[in-house]
Amino acid sequence: MTEEFEPKIVAFLCKWCSSAGSDLAGVSRMEYPANVIPIQVMCSGSVSPLYIFEAFNRGADGVLVSGCHPGDCHYIKGNMYARRKLLLVKKLLEHLGLEPQRFRMSWVSAAEGQKYTQVIKELVKELKPLGPQTKLRRESNG
Amino acid sequence: MVKHEDVRAEAKKLLESGKVKYIIAYELGADGWKANPVFIKKPEDVDKIIWGPTCYHNLVRFVVDEKRRKAQQKNPDTRPVGVVVKGCDSRAIVILLQEKFIDRKDVHIIGVSCETTGVIDERKLAKKLKGRIAKAIEFGSDENFLITTDSGTVNLPASEIMADRCLECIAHVPVITDVLFGEKTKRTVPQPFGSVEKIENLSSEDRWKFWNEQLEKCVRCYACRSVCPMCYCDECVADTITFAVSPDTTAEEKAQKIKWLDKSPVISENIFYHMVRAIHLAGRCIDCGECERACPVNIPLRMLNKKLEKEAKLLFGYDVGFDPEKPALISCFRDEDPEDFIR
Amino acid sequence: MDKILAKKDFPRWLEALGAYDVYAPQLIDDVWNYELAADPKAVSLDYPQTAIPAKKIVFPQREFFFEFREADTDGYELKELLPEGKPAVIFGVRPCEGKAVTLTDLVFGGEIRDDYYWKRRNAAVLVGLACASPPSTNCFCLSVNGSPHSKEGLDVLMTDLGDQYFVETLTDKGKKLVSEGGAIFHEAKPADKKAAEKIHADSEKKLARELKNIKDVPAKLRGMFASPFWDDESMSCIRCGICTYLCPTCHCFDINDEVESQTPLAGRRVRTWDTCQFPDFTMHSSGHNPRPDKAARLRQRINHKFQYFVEVWQNYQCTGCGRCITLCPVGIDIIKVVEKVRDHVS
Repeated sequence: MTEEFEPKIVAFLCKWCSSAGSDLAGVSRMEYPANVIPIQVMCSGSVSPLYIFEAFNRGADGVLVSGCHPGDCHYIKGNMYARRKLLLVKKLLEHLGLEPQRFRMSWVSAAEGQKYTQVIKELVKELKPLGPQTKLRRESNG
Repeated sequence: MVKHEDVRAEAKKLLESGKVKYIIAYELGADGWKANPVFIKKPEDVDKIIWGPTCYHNLVRFVVDEKRRKAQQKNPDTRPVGVVVKGCDSRAIVILLQEKFIDRKDVHIIGVSCETTGVIDERKLAKKLKGRIAKAIEFGSDENFLITTDSGTVNLPASEIMADRCLECIAHVPVITDVLFGEKTKRTVPQPFGSVEKIENLSSEDRWKFWNEQLEKCVRCYACRSVCPMCYCDECVADTITFAVSPDTTAEEKAQKIKWLDKSPVISENIFYHMVRAIHLAGRCIDCGECERACPVNIPLRMLNKKLEKEAKLLFGYDVGFDPEKPALISCFRDEDPEDFIR
Repeated sequence: MDKILAKKDFPRWLEALGAYDVYAPQLIDDVWNYELAADPKAVSLDYPQTAIPAKKIVFPQREFFFEFREADTDGYELKELLPEGKPAVIFGVRPCEGKAVTLTDLVFGGEIRDDYYWKRRNAAVLVGLACASPPSTNCFCLSVNGSPHSKEGLDVLMTDLGDQYFVETLTDKGKKLVSEGGAIFHEAKPADKKAAEKIHADSEKKLARELKNIKDVPAKLRGMFASPFWDDESMSCIRCGICTYLCPTCHCFDINDEVESQTPLAGRRVRTWDTCQFPDFTMHSSGHNPRPDKAARLRQRINHKFQYFVEVWQNYQCTGCGRCITLCPVGIDIIKVVEKVRDHVS
C-alpha cells in the first residue's frame, strides 16, 4: 500500500492579518489540509529571502508568505515592500528552475478564515503532483 | 582616444596639490601586458598609470577598503581618494552613494570612457591566440584590438574578444565624474539583456540542469563576493563564524548563532550561497562582470545577477546605478507594482 | 624498469584499470581539472595546468570524520567514517604537484598521523607527466628545489616522446599499475631513454620565470614581522581564497558539525578546506582576531611558505606551479613579493 505524498508547506503568516485569519479558520472549525507548518512573523515585509531559501534548503515542498491586503498593513507599508521583494525572490527561484507553484504569496485578512482554507487547499492540490522538493534540499545521511 | 599622459597629468596635479590621499589606478603587471590595480601615493609614481583593454578590474572595490581602513584609525586622513573608473565602475559609486556607504566628498572620480569598445575577456583571448603568448595589447583602430604576441602581431575585432558584459553595456561613459577622459560616444545596445534571455528561454528543467552543472563546480573560494564592491558587509550570511561579540555575549548565544548554510561545497549549499548573493545584489549589481572574471572555475555568475537587474527594469521600472538620490530597489515601491502573482 | 607505451594504446591501459577510480585532466567549460575519466578514449594528456591541483584527491575539499546520534540512554552513538581507501590513479600529475604531495605528507604524517589523509594517500597512485614545456607562463619550479621532470611524490613518470610515452616506474605501486597494462607496454630502448633525458634537460631551459637567490629569505622574513612592507604589498588583496585553495601545498582545514536532525540530535562531523586568507580564519570565540587585516594575512602566507615550513621541515612550502599568480584576480605575484623581501632594506 503506497502512502500518498503529502507536501510539507512552510507558511510565514503576518501576526496582524494572516495569522489571525488562520486562527479564525481554526476556531470556526473549518476543515482544511493539515500540511502547513505555520510561522508567525510580525509583518510580511519582515520576511527575509533567507527564510524562504532556508525553508527549501531544509526540505519544505512549498513556501507560502501571507500578509495584510494593500492599505491594511499594521505597519502601513510593510506589505508593499514584501510585494516587491518577494516577487524578486520568486523570479530568482524560477530562474534557477524551481517549479513556480512551490513559492507563493497571498493576502489574507484577519476576517478571512474561509479564504485561508481555500489558499491552503489550492496550494496542496498544486503541490501534490509535483512530488517532494529535491532541488534545493540539502542531502542528509538519513 | 584616451591618452595615458592626460590621465597621468591629472593624477600628478591631484597628488602635488594634496587634494587626494592617493589614487587607485591601473598599472602593468609583472607579465608586462595585463593591468593590475595600483595605489599611487607620490607624484613621481604617476608614470605607472596605464589605460588599456586589460583594465577590467572594478577599482571601486578599493574605495570600500579605504572606508574600512579609516574606520579603524583614530585620526583618519579625511581627504578623498582618487579612483579611475570605467562606465560600469562609476555606477558602483552611485550605488555606494545611494546607500550612504560613502559620501561624495570621499572620492575624486577620474572617469575614463570606453568609447567604441571595452575590455577583453582573457579566456576568449587565449582561445583566439591558440597557444601564442601575448606580450602587449592596445586599442587599435576601427574597433579592433592590436595584440603583440611572441610570434608576431594580430589584429582582432573587439567584438570577438571583449568581455560579455561589454557586449551588453549600457554605460560605456561614466555616469558620475569629477573629470572625464575620452569621448562621450553614442552607443546603442539592441538587446541589453540578451545573454540572460538565452537562459530564460530554456525550459524549467533545462534551466535547473544548467544551474546544477554550473554550481556543482563551485569551490566556495568566495572570490565572487570578495571582488564585488557591493558585498561590503562585515558579517556575511555565508560565514557562520564571524560574529560580533562583546564581553557580555554568553556561551549559549555563541553556540546558538544562526547557521544559514554549511561550509561544505555541496550543491544545495552552493545554490543557497549564490541565491543569497544574487538577491542581496538585486537593484545593486551594476554588471561590472568581476565576479565572473574572478571565478577560477568559470561559472557564469552574471546570469544570476543580470536576471534580477532585468526584472527590476521590467517589473518595477527601476534603472540600477544611475541616480545617487534614488532609493534602493527594495526600500521603495510604487502603487502600481505587479500583484498578479499574489493569491 | 623503463617502458614504452604507444599513445594509441594509452586508452587500453585505462580500460585495464577497472579496479581503480581513474582521474585524468578534463576540460569542462574552458577550465581543466582532474575528474573521473568516464570514457578512456576521450582522455588526452595534452593539457597545460589544472585549476585545482591533484591534492583534491588525497585531501578532498569535504570529508567526513564520524557520525553522531543521540542515544536512547545518555550520551551519543559515534560511528567512525574512515575513507574506504578505494584504489585511485591520477594521470597527468605535474612534477610540482607530486612534490607538493610529499610536503603535505610531512604535515599529516610524523608523530601524529591523520588516518583520514593516509587512507586516501596510500590508495592513490600518482602518474606524473614531465613538463616538456612549462604548463604555465608563471612556472618557477626550478627556483624552489623542484624541476619539470622531478620524480618526487610520483609512482610513475611519463614523458611524451611524440607518438609514444616513455614510462618510468618509480615505486611498487607504480610497478603494479604498469603491470595491469600487461603486453601493451614494450621495453624501452637506450635511444628512448636518451630522447626522454634530452626532453628533460631541454625543459629546464624553458621556464619563463625564476626566483633567484632566496637562501637568506627565511632569516630575512623573521626580521620583517612588524614591517610596514606588508601593508603596501597587501593593499590590492581582496581576501578571497583563490591563492590558497588552488595551491598544491596548502592544507588548512575547518571542522564543523553538520546537523541532520534535532530530535534525536544526529549528524556528521565534517572537514572542509579553509584558508588563512579569509578574515575570520583566526577569529577567536572571544571576538579577538590576531590577524585582523590583509597585511597580517599576506605576511602569514609568505611566512608559512618561505620561513616557517623551512624552519620546521627544511623545505620551501611552495613548488613553483604559479597558480596563485595566474588566478589572483588582482595580480598579486608571489615571485615579486619574495624578491622584494630578499632585497628589502629596513
